[in-house]
Amino acid sequence: MSDGIPVILCVDDEPNALVLRKLVLQKAGYEVITASSGKQALEMAESRPIDLLLSDQLMPGMTGTQLAKQIRVIAPKTRIVLISGVNEMPPDASVADVFLSKVEGPDALCNTVASALSKL
Amino acid sequence: MTHEPVNILMVDDQPGKLLSYEAILNPLGENLIKANSGREALEVLLKADIAIVLMDVSMPDIDGFQLADMIREHPRFQQTAIIFISAVHLSDLDRLKGYERGAVDYISVPVVPELLRAKVTIFAELYRKTQQLERLNHELEQRVADRTEELRESEGQFRSLANSIPQLAWMAHPNGDRFWYNQRWYDYTGKTFDELKDGGWKAIHHPDHLDRVQNSYTSSVESGQPWEDTFPLRGTDGSYRWFLSRAVPIYDVNGKIARWFGTNTDITERKQAEEALVKSERFAAMGRLAGIIAHEINNPLEAISNAFYLLRDHPSLDEEARYFAKLAEEELKRVAHITKQTLSFYRESQQAVQVALAEVLENVIELQSRRLQVGGIILEKRLATDGVIHGYPVELKQVFLNIIGNAVQAMPNGGRLRIDLRESWGRNNGHFGVRVSVHDTGVGIPPEHARKIFEPFFSTKDAKGTGLGLWISKGIIQKYGGTIRFRSMRRGERCATCFSVFIPTAVSAESKEAAQVLVA
Repeated sequence: MSDGIPVILCVDDEPNALVLRKLVLQKAGYEVITASSGKQALEMAESRPIDLLLSDQLMPGMTGTQLAKQIRVIAPKTRIVLISGVNEMPPDASVADVFLSKVEGPDALCNTVASALSKL
Repeated sequence: MTHEPVNILMVDDQPGKLLSYEAILNPLGENLIKANSGREALEVLLKADIAIVLMDVSMPDIDGFQLADMIREHPRFQQTAIIFISAVHLSDLDRLKGYERGAVDYISVPVVPELLRAKVTIFAELYRKTQQLERLNHELEQRVADRTEELRESEGQFRSLANSIPQLAWMAHPNGDRFWYNQRWYDYTGKTFDELKDGGWKAIHHPDHLDRVQNSYTSSVESGQPWEDTFPLRGTDGSYRWFLSRAVPIYDVNGKIARWFGTNTDITERKQAEEALVKSERFAAMGRLAGIIAHEINNPLEAISNAFYLLRDHPSLDEEARYFAKLAEEELKRVAHITKQTLSFYRESQQAVQVALAEVLENVIELQSRRLQVGGIILEKRLATDGVIHGYPVELKQVFLNIIGNAVQAMPNGGRLRIDLRESWGRNNGHFGVRVSVHDTGVGIPPEHARKIFEPFFSTKDAKGTGLGLWISKGIIQKYGGTIRFRSMRRGERCATCFSVFIPTAVSAESKEAAQVLVA
């Protein structure tokens, strides 16, 4: 946690969703870096410390839970929030600290992120 | 042509004449037996079958006519041909006398050999033919007797076969009236033959199927085409089982329908398995579809929500623009709420499990406990059974959360909430299951709303409700082959409303239709 401002790595394959989510989180006061795939996210997580991974679940190449498992190995202290547009929980959802539905909205997203970071 | 020789008895008191007859008849190849007197002739007749008696009319001791009378008296010889040979006594009166005794012919002396041979040949052939006929007749009688015995045996075998097959079996006259049922039929229906006749059989048919079954059977009987239909029949315990029923016409030798033979095969288990398979496939398909739709809607929805969230407080907007952004954001929340409500409908469609409704209800009550306390609502619960059914816990919880939530919201000024769970019989279908009743003393449901409350997007809660709760609940309950009903009564200022949910624990005859409603 550099300068006391938590760093969030935000991952989504859809550019619009990614940039809007980043702006919402920036507005809430976080430092946000983004990746458009699991692979890219892993590279970034290896090159710099992050406090929280916020990733979409369904992405081509690597799903959110698959990414989360690898992040747990690289940076075990990272808090992980997965968000999903589908209503079905993946069987390995428990790898994340929180599994959130996208339709909960921006307020719920910010609350969830804040609460996950508070357990850091 | 070889033939069996017949016996010809020649009677004459003069040995010379006998010898001459013998000489004349010898070429015919028949057995020639000689007798010198009427007495001797009778002795021969008693011992042997005689085809023709050739006799002299005038003989001492017993004359020809007397001998003919004696012969005719014996039943064995009534068919025997008698040929009289006479030198004298040949008046018409004599001939008549001879014919009265059954004599078949006269030959006058002198005997013309060709004539005698010709006459004897004819009578010998006649005798042979008669013998053959009798033999044939006897054979036929024997065959009939054998066949009758065979039939009796095969009838016995048929009955024991018909009683040993797992099917219900029956037979009917060509007009379709049933005249026989196998033992299994009586065991299954618990009815006697007399109870079933004259339309009594209708009582074991399900009323929803009776007309169709009657029509299809009648038209088969009329057209002579084999009959096939599938329908439920009621057993002794009052429950229905499904039968695949077939009947084929049995023809007689002339190709006319002699009777109908029918069977009813119990296919309840097969049908249940098929239905379960169809249902699970349908769930899986719906689940996939719901998942795809959810994904396609939820993703852009999140992006738009975030966009308006950012826009709402954006410094560049004037107050009016911010107001518009706020309205848009509120509407988006409603969309989000609806997709959460509907598209999570099949969330856990993987596998049905044993669910105790009592547990589901306790769970829902706990979720509502704070609202009950705050709202001054007195709870009475009577969970008389565990109410275990095969299903999906989350969607069942959704149903009762909806109904109980509605009841709580209907009592803003407090009241009484009663929740019953008991084993019960379905009202229409006569099937066993569990019933949950939720009573409240809230504001009631006005009659004008009664028809609409299960329709989608009907809500009395304005912006607070989606208007989908009861519609979804009904869909879920129908999927289980169950029913959801309500009653609301008003007496003065006081109201009582009861929602009653029935879920069958066994597959009922209606489940297929219920499933079709759901698909529709």
